[in-house]
Amino acid sequence: MDLPTQFLAQPDALILDLVANSREAALCALHAELAKSPAVKDAPLFLHGLLERAMLAPVCIAPEVALPHARTTAVERVVIGVARIAPPGVGFDAEHPQVRLVFMVGTPKQQVEEYLLSVAAITRLLKTEGIRDGLLAARTEAEFRALLARGTKR
Amino acid sequence: MSGTGATDPAALLLQRLQRLLRWRLWIQERIQLTEWQVTLLWAALAGFLGSLTSLIFSAFAEGVHEVLTGSSAGVVESMRHLPWWGCLLVPTLGGTAAGLVLLYGQRLARAQSSTDYMEAIAIGNGRIPVRASLVKSTAALFSIGSGGSIGREGPMVQLAAVVASMLGRWRQFTGPQLRLLVACGAAAGIASAYNAPIAGSFFVAEIILGSIAMESLGPLAVSAVVATLTIRVLTSAQVMYRVPSFQLNSAWEMGPYVVLGLVTGSLAPMFLRSLRQAEEFFLALRLPIVARLALGGLAVGIMAVNVPEVCGNGYSVVVQILNGPVIWKVLLGVFACKWLATMASFGSGAPGGVFTPSLFMGASAGYLFGAAVHAVWPVGAANPGAFALVGMGAFLAAASRAPVMAIIMLFEMTLSYDIILPLMLCSVIAYYTAKGIAGNSLYSESLKRKTAAEPDPDLAAGRVQDLMKANPPVIAPNARFAAIAEMFLSVRVNNLYVCDADGRFLGAVSLHDIKPYLGQPDLAELVIARDIMREDFPRIGPQQSLAEALGRFLGLPAERLPVVDPVTGRLLGSLSKGDLLLVLVEKRKKPEPAV
Repeated sequence: MDLPTQFLAQPDALILDLVANSREAALCALHAELAKSPAVKDAPLFLHGLLERAMLAPVCIAPEVALPHARTTAVERVVIGVARIAPPGVGFDAEHPQVRLVFMVGTPKQQVEEYLLSVAAITRLLKTEGIRDGLLAARTEAEFRALLARGTKR
Repeated sequence: MSGTGATDPAALLLQRLQRLLRWRLWIQERIQLTEWQVTLLWAALAGFLGSLTSLIFSAFAEGVHEVLTGSSAGVVESMRHLPWWGCLLVPTLGGTAAGLVLLYGQRLARAQSSTDYMEAIAIGNGRIPVRASLVKSTAALFSIGSGGSIGREGPMVQLAAVVASMLGRWRQFTGPQLRLLVACGAAAGIASAYNAPIAGSFFVAEIILGSIAMESLGPLAVSAVVATLTIRVLTSAQVMYRVPSFQLNSAWEMGPYVVLGLVTGSLAPMFLRSLRQAEEFFLALRLPIVARLALGGLAVGIMAVNVPEVCGNGYSVVVQILNGPVIWKVLLGVFACKWLATMASFGSGAPGGVFTPSLFMGASAGYLFGAAVHAVWPVGAANPGAFALVGMGAFLAAASRAPVMAIIMLFEMTLSYDIILPLMLCSVIAYYTAKGIAGNSLYSESLKRKTAAEPDPDLAAGRVQDLMKANPPVIAPNARFAAIAEMFLSVRVNNLYVCDADGRFLGAVSLHDIKPYLGQPDLAELVIARDIMREDFPRIGPQQSLAEALGRFLGLPAERLPVVDPVTGRLLGSLSKGDLLLVLVEKRKKPEPAV
């Protein structure tokens, strides 16, 4: 298992049933949790990078799933935060009005390969049968983490 | 996500497109041509076209000869059957016609730069004026077709180089690429003229480029091979000089061969000096160009009345000498007359080459020397014909200052390996002897003069902007993954440059980075160029030196570097490693400035 997939199996931040009324609010809340990781060296810069990227092009990969990400000097390794937003979710853009799962990824500036590995690992995880529905239905953090671990196993 | 992807026709279409792109990229990657491989393909095309122009020129020259002499036989044979006044009239008419073509052609051509292919390759920018070259070649048809003592290989090589120059200009090649392609054309011309692909390659590499680095020799070899193959397929051309089997009869023969090297090494500079003196003599007469060329033709005609062997490039006489025996007294007369005839033709300005006449001089000198040694010491020169063969190579080595090419060419033209030991020894001795006597060769003289007069601005400055190619393929920072993949399919690069709306360079997307993810259509919607571009991709400024550029390439797998304005950050173009290496190879051995 490559390093980014390991990080996905054990994310640096996890929020279940996050209450947010906008994309920015959701991003800020998950970012605040993720910024606690020692790997995040410059939290404001990281947030700036996330928002800037989200404004440049859509970050959703499915109707209910968003993948905000940034390659930035603010992190010293791949960091991944996961949030499940309380129903009915928040709108990320016109085509994705009810996003429920948010996978936030920060990758060091130089690590293009790791960035692609991280994004590919998340899309692969969500394709695994039952994982997405399971993540949306998980009742506890342990159950949620177990699903992430199962989904990232090869 | 998966459910939607499976039923939505648009998503299905995107998935199929991605799959298709992935396969196309997979295939392309395996057969993707590098810049060097592409160069080889163009070299092959230049070789093919060069051989065709050589064939066409030969056909026209024979046509002119037939019209002027009424005979389709060889030049010497035709002249032998002409009455005395015919021998005088034909070369004079040919010279007059060549002069008229040059006179009126100059008005048509309005050439600003030299038509010399050697100059275009060695010190120019690879651009050979087409109209001026056609005028010169047309004039050469008359001087050659009328029996002038001049070789046809010169115009053949010139035309092949012109076609290559046109090809490169059409494809908008950079300076170094264009020069290399013109060199390929010249190699094709030599290979076509002498049915000698190896010598064709080495002729250009050793004499003009001054380097046998693979960066240049590879394309030259490909071009020469294609040209030779084309000639062999379209004509019945085989070995140029069919010779009996020569061998070293005794180790004692090596002694006379050493002396032959000294003799030919001394004769060649004399021959070259006499040609230059003849040129100065004709110019001093201050005659109009038509009258000057007519006079040169008349001089050849006067000698041809009694010695028709002086006409043409001397090929048929060389065949006779090599297949001997010949009467040495007769050969001595022919040798002297041919020397004078070549001085007359070359000195009067008749367009053509002196490469084949040089072979004649060497063969004659070798045979005469061998016959003389045989007369006083038969063991030292058992077969004077072998000395003729070795003399050809040695004289060529001394005159061209290219001993490697001379040895290879002799071997290729005769396919006689038995004589290789004395040939090598004699050529090298002749080369050093000639070099010790005079510093100039058959070809370096004009190049030196021109180098001093017109220093190459590209090489003198040696800046990145001189070699830079404008308008490299670029993508926007928000270009989608699918668009990036498509771009990689449409242009043959390994890195795509990312620029903002103002043309500022932001970074580069590497094919190597995205390759493993082409099978994931989900990424197509999410990933944009900015996500995967490398901001730290090396770049270079337009004013930086070529040495600095080379330093940038060291340890870098990229074949091209973006050229970025250091002030505005705008992308100005790209610099090819291939171009840079070619220039450095060229710079390594430029002709020294004239003293």
